[in-house]
Amino acid sequence: MNNHSHAPFAEEPPWITGNHGFASLTNLVCGLVERRAPAWWWGAFLLAGAIFTLGGLMTAYVISTGIGVWGMNSPVAWAFDITNFVFWVGIGHAGTLISAILYLFRQKWRSSLNRFAEAMTLFAVACAGLFVTIHLGRVWLFWYLIPAPSANQIYPNFRSALSWDFAAVATYATVSTMFWYYGLIPDFGSLRDRATGRMRRFVYGLLALGWRSSGRHWHNYESAYLMLAGLATPLVVSVHTIVSFDFATSVVPGWHSTIFPPYFVNGAIFSGLAMVITLIVPLRVLCGLTDLVTTRHLETMCKLILATSLLLSYGYMVELTNAWYSGNAYEQFVFTNRMAGPYAWCYWTMIACNVVLPQLFWMRWVRTTPWAMFSVAVCVNVGMWFERFVIVVTSLHRDYLPSSWGMFYPTWVDMGLLAGGFGLFATPFLLFIRFVPMVALSEVKAALPEANPHHTASPEAEPAPAPVPPVPADPTAGPCFGAMARFRGPEELTAAVVELRALGFQRIDTYSPFPIHGIEKALGLGRSKVPLFTLAGGIFGLSFAQWLQWYQSAIGYPLITGGKPINSTEAFVPIDFETMVLYAAFGSVGAMLLLNGLPRLYHPVFRGRSFARATDDGFFLTIEARDPKFDPRETPAQLAEAGGTEVEFLAH
Amino acid sequence: MPLVFTHEADRRLRRLVIGVVLSAALGLAGLYYYGPPEYTRVGYAPKQPVPFSHEQHTGRLGISCLYCHTGVEESSVAKIPPTQTCMNCHQTIKPDSPQLAVVRESFASGKPVPWVRVHQVPDYVFFDHSAHVRRGVGCVSCHGKVNEMPVVVHEKPLSMGWCLDCHRQPEACLRPPSEATNFAWQPPAGRSNSDYGRLLKDQSRIHPPEQCSGCHR
Repeated sequence: MNNHSHAPFAEEPPWITGNHGFASLTNLVCGLVERRAPAWWWGAFLLAGAIFTLGGLMTAYVISTGIGVWGMNSPVAWAFDITNFVFWVGIGHAGTLISAILYLFRQKWRSSLNRFAEAMTLFAVACAGLFVTIHLGRVWLFWYLIPAPSANQIYPNFRSALSWDFAAVATYATVSTMFWYYGLIPDFGSLRDRATGRMRRFVYGLLALGWRSSGRHWHNYESAYLMLAGLATPLVVSVHTIVSFDFATSVVPGWHSTIFPPYFVNGAIFSGLAMVITLIVPLRVLCGLTDLVTTRHLETMCKLILATSLLLSYGYMVELTNAWYSGNAYEQFVFTNRMAGPYAWCYWTMIACNVVLPQLFWMRWVRTTPWAMFSVAVCVNVGMWFERFVIVVTSLHRDYLPSSWGMFYPTWVDMGLLAGGFGLFATPFLLFIRFVPMVALSEVKAALPEANPHHTASPEAEPAPAPVPPVPADPTAGPCFGAMARFRGPEELTAAVVELRALGFQRIDTYSPFPIHGIEKALGLGRSKVPLFTLAGGIFGLSFAQWLQWYQSAIGYPLITGGKPINSTEAFVPIDFETMVLYAAFGSVGAMLLLNGLPRLYHPVFRGRSFARATDDGFFLTIEARDPKFDPRETPAQLAEAGGTEVEFLAH
Repeated sequence: MPLVFTHEADRRLRRLVIGVVLSAALGLAGLYYYGPPEYTRVGYAPKQPVPFSHEQHTGRLGISCLYCHTGVEESSVAKIPPTQTCMNCHQTIKPDSPQLAVVRESFASGKPVPWVRVHQVPDYVFFDHSAHVRRGVGCVSCHGKVNEMPVVVHEKPLSMGWCLDCHRQPEACLRPPSEATNFAWQPPAGRSNSDYGRLLKDQSRIHPPEQCSGCHR
């Protein structure tokens, strides 16, 4: 977040173009939600809704009839179901990559894209959840996966990669949802403060949990955000690693390979970035976001796609080399069969889309021309679907015994569900861009140069608001919360805090549309306590998972499976990790809410005449009446002297 | 700025949150109380077409279980007796009792008496009466004191966990196989049930299966 104007990277052009100020960004992003839905949105929504309905009918048909209506058979016991599951989980990796990993690497370009990519993640994981659930066949027995005591005294087998997978995907879905909603809280505040209708004000008000963007709020908020990013980074790597264990821990040739975890994680990021490009290229034009998502953003992502494509190609080569080098006839046969067998066309489609076409991104022209990169990204999506199909089906259809060889042909139900997955993805996504700010507003504002208190105010910054005479204290007006004043910008606000604290005021708080760098020091706030809660949550999660798995495997249902001892600590590590991350994330978010006293829907500061601007472009400061130095006659003048305008008293 | 919420909103929100948490806790407690077979099955005592009393026949008259349930030592099912078994006695004892009208009708027509089944394990459970009875698991262990029941009541839960309790520690339910149908059996003087059961377990080398395929094949 540190962007001193004299920093060596000052030459870097700004990521946001179009001379935007705080207010124009608010108008741009909130306007998308507040305006009537454009015609293209209705067209897209009806189409997506139709496909969603098709998917719903297919799901109902599969559940009521049984998965025999799919083309699966023996030996191809996994086909489109698991292909679609892995495909969608993979797509869901870009969101957390952009939100968390790039946050830790201080990549400023992420702030235009993270909200959107996080939403994409959620809906992709929901699709994955659908496919893996209906794949169970008898979905009403889904609860067998939950390690809760029951009259059966039977527990999940924690030594199985499938249990790890459930823990990983469930944790990922929960943490991604929290991360997404967490980022949305300040932006829901913006929507609440701008809303005109009663209904919108109420709904967005509830969703904002009473967020009042105070300096103390931001202090804990940023700390918990950093914790979440730190937790989500290993989580995103673990999820596809564990998905790859579904294959790699089996003894099927073509699956039983140690290259699988990195190869899967990389492939997931590759496909997720391609899906971001596929969606953002049309949407940035349709929604008028070209100032926020510039060609430079797209070019950066294209470079990432190119890098991950090269890593993926390396993975493909390692598979082939290892098969050759192992001297294992079965392993070698799988790969010759992939390249020249009945599904060779799938293999070569995969190679063309994932290895050959992304090489076009070496050319600057392709990286900077939206339609060209869109075409490549669509091909990558197709290629990645085929990759999963090739892994799942070609390994199974030629089993060890030629007598049990078979072929998989999709039925119309398979095809309908494949399409339905896209409907299930697109429908909530379209609702998301309609009702939720699709760009992380407070983060984009914080990335503007004028958000930095060390920034020398640019001449085109908007003029200071007209001075309004202070409201005199009214002794008959009941208990008073304190005095509020408005300031021109982050720099003035920080200076005022320093000045007022020098006068001896203690109970000062600031309100700004984004976290101001350094204001927590000016306010005298120590280190946030959030990380302690994160640590406590993590320790609890880890101990709980280890106890749960030990108790249920060694005491509750002691049963030897797979030749592993009943207390196999090594096999418990994946679920230990996932549960630790889950509870650490609960701890972080819970700590932010607890330390900030949220949800608190009503607060006296909301009585401020122009306080609605605090989530838009206004900078405010309050001094509470219970401050020992507070004096109803003196304090307004002191606030005005510190540079404050619109000084007023707030009733309780 | 116009106020969106007042003090009252926070009070309502707090009440709502407490309400949701309490209902979730209550719902979970209810699921655990009303969901398991301990609640859903135990106490099931359907009205039978004939008011047959096990208490009268077994308890007071002392007819052995095996007189009617002939399959219990040889096959997986205990068997519900045919009407002929009833008529063996009731042709001469109380031949005109109005309570036996259904039995006489069945005997005349050849159609069985439509008894209502009380104890039933799911289709995917392979339960074998003979394997249990011949190893010394008494009738009373799974069916309760039938000799004191005027109307048969489902006394035990027959849940999987309940089965496993005994499969893991069979000594508490073991008796000499010859005493399987004796409701009044007690271990020899000076020996506790589990102590004597352990002896029987070792003698007969009883190792009940705990793996899935023991009962689900």
